[in-house]
Amino acid sequence: MEPLISVRNLKKYFDVGEGMLKAVDGISFDIYPGETFGLVGESGCGKSTAGRTIIRLYDPTDGELIFNGKNIYDLSRKEMQEVRKNFQMIFQDPYASLNPRMTVEEIVGEPFDIHDIYKDKKEKKKRIMELLQLVGLSDEHAMRFPHEFSGGQRQRIGIARSLALNPKFIVCDEPISALDVSIQAQVVNLLKELQEKLGLTYLFIAHDLSMVRYISDRVGVMYLGQMMELADSEELYENPIHPYTRALLSAIPIPDPEIQKDRKRIVLQGDVPSPINPKEACRFVDRCPYAIEICHKQVPEFREVKPKHFAACHRALEI
Amino acid sequence: MENLLEVKNLAVSFKTFFGEVEAVRNISFSVKDSQTVAIVGESGCGKSVTANSIMQLLPMPPAFFKGGEIWFEGENLLKKTDKEMQKIRGNKMSMIFQDPMTSLNPTIRVGKQIVEGLIHHHGISKQEAEEKALEMLRLVSVPQPEKRIKQYPHEFSGGMRQRVMIALAMVSDPKLIIADEPTTALDVTVQAQILELMREIQKERGMSIILITHDLGIVAEMSDKVVVMYAGQIIEEGNTKEIFENTKHPYTAKLLKSVPRLDMDKNEPLHSIEGTPPDLYIPPLGCPFYDRCDKAMKICKDNMPDEENHSPTHKSRCWLNHPLAKDQERRSS
Amino acid sequence: MDRIDANLNKELQREMFEPADLSNRDADKIKRPSIKYWPDVWRRLKQNKLAMSGLVLIVGIIIIAIAGPYMNKFDYFEQDYTKINLKPNSTHFFGTDELGRDLWTRVWIGARYSLIIGILAAAIDFVIGVLYGGVAGVASRRVDAFMMRLAEVIYSIPYLLVVILLSVVFSKEGSGTSLFVLILAMTLTSWVPMSILVRGQVLQLKESEYSLASESLGASNGWILKKHIIPNTLGPILVNVTLTIPRAIFAEATLGFLGLGFQAPNSSLGSLANDGLAGMAVGNAYQLIIPAILISLIMFGFNVLGDGLRDALDPRLRK
Repeated sequence: MEPLISVRNLKKYFDVGEGMLKAVDGISFDIYPGETFGLVGESGCGKSTAGRTIIRLYDPTDGELIFNGKNIYDLSRKEMQEVRKNFQMIFQDPYASLNPRMTVEEIVGEPFDIHDIYKDKKEKKKRIMELLQLVGLSDEHAMRFPHEFSGGQRQRIGIARSLALNPKFIVCDEPISALDVSIQAQVVNLLKELQEKLGLTYLFIAHDLSMVRYISDRVGVMYLGQMMELADSEELYENPIHPYTRALLSAIPIPDPEIQKDRKRIVLQGDVPSPINPKEACRFVDRCPYAIEICHKQVPEFREVKPKHFAACHRALEI
Repeated sequence: MENLLEVKNLAVSFKTFFGEVEAVRNISFSVKDSQTVAIVGESGCGKSVTANSIMQLLPMPPAFFKGGEIWFEGENLLKKTDKEMQKIRGNKMSMIFQDPMTSLNPTIRVGKQIVEGLIHHHGISKQEAEEKALEMLRLVSVPQPEKRIKQYPHEFSGGMRQRVMIALAMVSDPKLIIADEPTTALDVTVQAQILELMREIQKERGMSIILITHDLGIVAEMSDKVVVMYAGQIIEEGNTKEIFENTKHPYTAKLLKSVPRLDMDKNEPLHSIEGTPPDLYIPPLGCPFYDRCDKAMKICKDNMPDEENHSPTHKSRCWLNHPLAKDQERRSS
Repeated sequence: MDRIDANLNKELQREMFEPADLSNRDADKIKRPSIKYWPDVWRRLKQNKLAMSGLVLIVGIIIIAIAGPYMNKFDYFEQDYTKINLKPNSTHFFGTDELGRDLWTRVWIGARYSLIIGILAAAIDFVIGVLYGGVAGVASRRVDAFMMRLAEVIYSIPYLLVVILLSVVFSKEGSGTSLFVLILAMTLTSWVPMSILVRGQVLQLKESEYSLASESLGASNGWILKKHIIPNTLGPILVNVTLTIPRAIFAEATLGFLGLGFQAPNSSLGSLANDGLAGMAVGNAYQLIIPAILISLIMFGFNVLGDGLRDALDPRLRK
């Protein structure tokens, strides 16, 4: 199968005065049509920047993004406008991503106004109501303002907006991390249902590994701007190779007191180091319990350790 | 074991433009010595209001106590004056917040913030206080405490700041710590560090902890007893094992099934709880979960279920406990 | 079984325990009445007694400033040497000055000028500040930096100096400073705070998730400015305008008091206070006190109204 999207050596640096903040430092992966690609990592690992650069909200420092056989970073503003309709984004904070002065109807209808799609007001309204129903809201909500809704309802409004232009690919940037657990399932189920109904492809960015495992077909693990490991989600969770992935998995509390009490966990020491001017070494070396000399000197290559299972670790085969 | 804290029929409301919002509706629970009690529930269920009521940190107005008692070490806190509460707060009980940045003063060195609390509450000399502050930073495993003590909060990472918060909370050896979502703002690997730290300190110092969280994994790991709140009420309460293994209330059951687990089958559907909790400005007459419950019966709509004891430690509030409901079930199956 | 049963006395029928009809439940229904943004602000402002008293005070002063001079038979320039330095009485409500002019009329004419100056100055600040700040906010980083440095340079010029220079340049011998020159001098530098406020707001809102969402939908910068940034900046701008008016009035009063304001027989509150100072020396304190109190009342009114507005607009206080 041909990938829908191919990310090649994507880089995004920010000049922060005291040096280069290498938020995304050369990541490559493919996303296939109809799949959900999970991107996980701790805060500051660059996963959100990667998502935003992929849909070109940020201009990349370097790299390619192939969509429909074209590198979309080469497109002009005008050509980009058309491609934009295929790419959408669902934001993390349902409180910040909806303009407080607009009604729900105006918010969901904004994409139509931007692209001037409906000449007929009635038709536009009909389509807006369809979208609201798709996410489980009704016309009684249309005239209300965002602050009158709960977090989960707001996120559903955001999803309705992102579906307006019939996109093929949606970047979900931590869409559930600001929500209550009971509501998270609601939104995840909705996303899954919409994927089946509309044939959507997702890039699902999150720090909640159990949720990512649940929703994704393949998962990539990022640390300090680089991809540490990438595999089918079952494979990644059952046979993690990279020491960072292992630590990450063991840190997740399991909601079962019996299991949780006997669990052995790897508690990583220290915090994620600063992504400003990182040194030429394995990014994880300072916290890695397996680090040896070479890890301090050389950035490990991101390679296929097992079929369809990639990792960037010098000791991938030994540990 | 003795009850360190006992909340009896607490009711707290907020005055708003729309009318009175009944945030906490007649709840009772207790915390024993050295016990960790988790309060779980969705945002707006009243768990933070409960915590802030115990500390008496609610803004009044708009908040006001409608009734109830909060007994702490044999004294009713709701009868205390502001001055008396100041002596208890930060001394016999202290609080850890979700965002340490908002509770640390950004313009004062970390060491000084700890020292000030010590001098204020215990009247010890500056030098003694400084030594104690160092000891506290060591207790929470802040590396290089001699250097760190002279730094400002913004020079600390999120996890380190939370450690400082715990040090501040532990400074006067409190009997009770209320931790309001202490790890929600942290990454999983850092969360694991903080939880381990809290457990170690508890083992060493033997204080009680009220842990407010929505993460059931943390509940399973940390708590001895669980209080499940919904729409301002306690709908189920029991020790951790009872809650996880002998769940009685449909809400608790759904809550447990709504989180994906690392060890579960991926193809299992995720149980979601549809809709949104009721708005407490018009609290429902009957069971507040009625609108979202799969097992709702006719009686649930307008009649509030009573509390039912399943064991000396386990109770819940649901009409399904009623003999007639069980009878109905038997007949239909 | 141990039951604590408040429902014991109720008669519970078997059929009440049958499954409920779940078809007409709606857990997504919003019970609270819908409130639009500005009515909500007005509602909160109304609750603020101090702000409302400020509003009433301002409206009252404006009405008398319009109608006051017609409430007796005197003109503001009419001199009557038989009636100099009269204390306030039933014909001359505020007494007369050392040239026998009716102070009631002169004070309200003065208030009229002061208010006109305040409102005009605030309006000019608003227009220039919003345009300049808005452009700086959306412009490139270098243009923005240049515009802000320029604004800082302009702001560092003392306005007193500007007034003196301008009055030398523009005014004819002995005619005093004209309204035009006064306003020009005051607004030449005073728009800077407004532009800094607007620029800050624009920069912040440009990065807000709803602006990003709009951008990812394909919206242009102009669209985002019009639909998202400006509507959300209006609140703070309104507060700033309300607080600019008393500042301008006070600035004018200071100039008038220093003798740099209008020339007699025209008057403003400041020049009246200046005239009153002479009267004060010969025991006619009311000639100074009356305009001074009026200045204070206007300042007080606008300031508490502005503060009240700020509180009413603050979303953190939203309940």
